[in-house]
Amino acid sequence: MTTAIEAFRLVAAPDVLITILLASIYGLVVGALPGLTATMATALLVPVTFYLSPIAAIAAIISSSAMAIFSGDIPGCLLRIPGTPASAAYTDEAYAMTRKGQAETALGICLWFSALGGIAGTLALLVIAPALAEVALNFSTFEYFWLAFLGLMCATLVARSSPVKAIAAMLIGLLVACIGIENPAGTPRFTLREFKGLTEIPFFRYVSENLLGGVEVIPALVGLFAVSEVMRAMVTPDPPPLPSRRLGGILRGQWELTKRYPKQQARGNVTGIIIGALPGAGADMAAWISYAISKRFSKEPHKFGTGHPEGLVESGASNNAALAAGWVPALLFGIPGDTITAIAIGVLYMKGLNPGPTLFTERASSMYALYLVFIIANILLIPLGIIMIRLATKVLRAPRSAIMPVVILCCAAGTFAVGNNLFAVACGAAFGIVGFAMERNGYPVAALVLGIVMGSMVEQNFVTSLIKSDGNLLPFFERPVSAVLAAMTIACLVWPIAIWAYRKVSPKRERMPLPAQ
Amino acid sequence: MHLSDRITGPFLVGLGALAAYGGSRLPPVPGQQIGPNVFPMVVGAGLVLCGAMIALGVGRVFEEEAEADLAAHENPPSPAETRHGPLFGLRALIPPALLLFYVLAVDRLGFFLTAASIVLTASKTLGASWRLAIPLSILAPAAIHLAFNKLLRVPLPPGFLPMPW
Repeated sequence: MTTAIEAFRLVAAPDVLITILLASIYGLVVGALPGLTATMATALLVPVTFYLSPIAAIAAIISSSAMAIFSGDIPGCLLRIPGTPASAAYTDEAYAMTRKGQAETALGICLWFSALGGIAGTLALLVIAPALAEVALNFSTFEYFWLAFLGLMCATLVARSSPVKAIAAMLIGLLVACIGIENPAGTPRFTLREFKGLTEIPFFRYVSENLLGGVEVIPALVGLFAVSEVMRAMVTPDPPPLPSRRLGGILRGQWELTKRYPKQQARGNVTGIIIGALPGAGADMAAWISYAISKRFSKEPHKFGTGHPEGLVESGASNNAALAAGWVPALLFGIPGDTITAIAIGVLYMKGLNPGPTLFTERASSMYALYLVFIIANILLIPLGIIMIRLATKVLRAPRSAIMPVVILCCAAGTFAVGNNLFAVACGAAFGIVGFAMERNGYPVAALVLGIVMGSMVEQNFVTSLIKSDGNLLPFFERPVSAVLAAMTIACLVWPIAIWAYRKVSPKRERMPLPAQ
Repeated sequence: MHLSDRITGPFLVGLGALAAYGGSRLPPVPGQQIGPNVFPMVVGAGLVLCGAMIALGVGRVFEEEAEADLAAHENPPSPAETRHGPLFGLRALIPPALLLFYVLAVDRLGFFLTAASIVLTASKTLGASWRLAIPLSILAPAAIHLAFNKLLRVPLPPGFLPMPW
C-alpha cells in the first residue's frame, strides 16, 4: 500500500504532470502530421528526456506515443493518408466512412476505442508483468539468449515483407551492434583499426576514435526514422489539401457501438495485448492482424471496406492495447516489444531503471507510477483527442515545406545533445541514408532497429552461455524453459517455409484475390 | 534509388563475407576457445546466406503480397510523379548533406547561422515561397536554440551571432 501511495506522490509531482500534458500535445500534433510516425516522435523526444527526472522521462515517452498512435488515425480518416503505420490497416475503412459523411463517427471510434484499448493494455501489463517476473527470476543466460533470439525472429516473422530480407536487415543490425569495444572480450571491433595505415589519415582516425565507443542507438534511430522520412518527403509529391468539413459530436453514438460490438472490442484488446507482449511485434502489426481477424469472423464481411464500423472498432482497440503490452518484455527482460519500447529501454537504462525481473521488487513504486501514467495518458487522450480533431483541419494544413525543415533541425540538435558530440550528427545522417535505401528496397527498418538495440544483449548471453558450456551447443536445449523457447524460435524460422510449401501444394484459387483499385 | 534484388543480394553477401573475415582476424582471448570473433563470424555467415537467398529470389512471394496489400490501402500514385528528370532522385540526399554541413560548419559559423541556412535550403527545396521560408529560417533556429540551450543546457556554439538570451 505504501508503494502505491509513493507512486501517486511520484506522479503528482508538478514536473511530471506538466511533462505529461506537453508530451501529449507534442504526440498528438506529430502523430497527426502525415509521414511523422509515433516512433519518430519518440526518437526525437529522447534527447529531451535526458534532462528530466526518471518518472517524467518515462511519462513523456508513454504519453507522447499513446497520443501519436491515436492521432495517426486523423489524417487517415480525413485524407486517406495514415499518419502512422499503425493506422494503415484501417485507413481505407475510416476514409470510406468519411466519404459517407460519418467522419465524426469514424474519428470518435478511433478515439474512444483507442482510449479503452490503452487502458485494457495497461491492466494486462499490470497483471502479466509481475507474474512473469517471478518466472523470469530463474532465467539463466541460456534462457535470455533464446528470448532475445525469439524477439529478433518474431520481428522478422511479422514484418510486412520477405522474411529473408527481414532476417538480413536484423543481421545488419547485429553487425552494427558489434562495432566498438563494448563486447564480452573488450576487444575493439570494426573500428577501422583492422586496416593498418588507414588510421594515419586524420579523418579516418577521427572516425575510428568515435567508433571505439560503439554506434550510439539514439542517433541511429533518429537517422533511421526521422532523417529518412525527410529524405522521402524530398522525392514524393505533396499530399492533397484537406477539404474543409464541419464535424458533429465526436463521442455521440460511441456508447451504442460499445454495446453493439463487445466481442469485437474484447477480441481486439486481447489480440493487441498478445502481439504487443510478443517481443519484437508492435502496434502496427496488431492493427493489421486485428482487422483481418475482424473481417474473417464478421457476420457481414461484405460490408468491410465500405465504411463499416466493426473492423475499425476491433483494430482501434487493438493497436493501443499493443502499445501498453509492448512494455511487458521491455520491463522484464530489456527486450523491446516494438520500436517505441526499443527507444524506451535506452531511456530506462539512462535513468537507472535497468530492466529486469528485480525491477518489480526493488523499484515497485516506480513501476506503479508507470502504470498510473499509462492510465492518466489514456484518460487524457479523450479530451485532448477531441480538441485535436477539432483543430485537425488547421494542423493538417501546415505545409510540408515548413514542417520538414524543422524536423531536420531537430535531428541535428537532438543527436548532438545525446553526447555533445558532432560525430553523432554525422551518424544520424549516415543512418538516414541506410534507412531510406532499405525502405526503398523492401528491407524492413524495424528489424534493423531491433538488431541494433538487442545486439549486445544477444551476444553477451550467447558468448557467456558458450563459455559456460565449453563451446558445446547441447546445454542450450537442456533446461526446460530454454528448450521451450528454443522450440518457439525454431518454429518462427520454419513458419515462413511451411506457409510457402503449403501454398505450393494447395490450389491457386484459395489465395486471396487482390482488391480492385 | 530502387535497386533490384540481384544487386542488394550480392552486396549483402559481400558485407557478410567481410564481417566474417574481419571477425576471424580478431585476437583470441588467451586460454579460452570463445573470443570476440565468434559473434561477427556467425552474423557474417548468416548475412552471406541471406544475401544469396535474396539474389536467388527466395521469399519474393511474401513481399509481393504485402506490397499489393499496402497498395490497396494507400493513395494511387499521382500522374505528376513521372515528369521528373533523372537527377530528381538525388534530392533525397539533401537532408543528410545538410546534416553534414551542420557538422562541418557549426563550430565556425555558430548555431544560428548554420541552422538558418539549413532551414532555408530545406524549405526552398520543398517548394516553399520566400514569404514562408525566410520567417521560418529565423524563427525555427531561435526556438530550437531557446529550447536546447536555455532549457536543456546543451552547449550549442554561439559563433558569429550569439543569441540574446
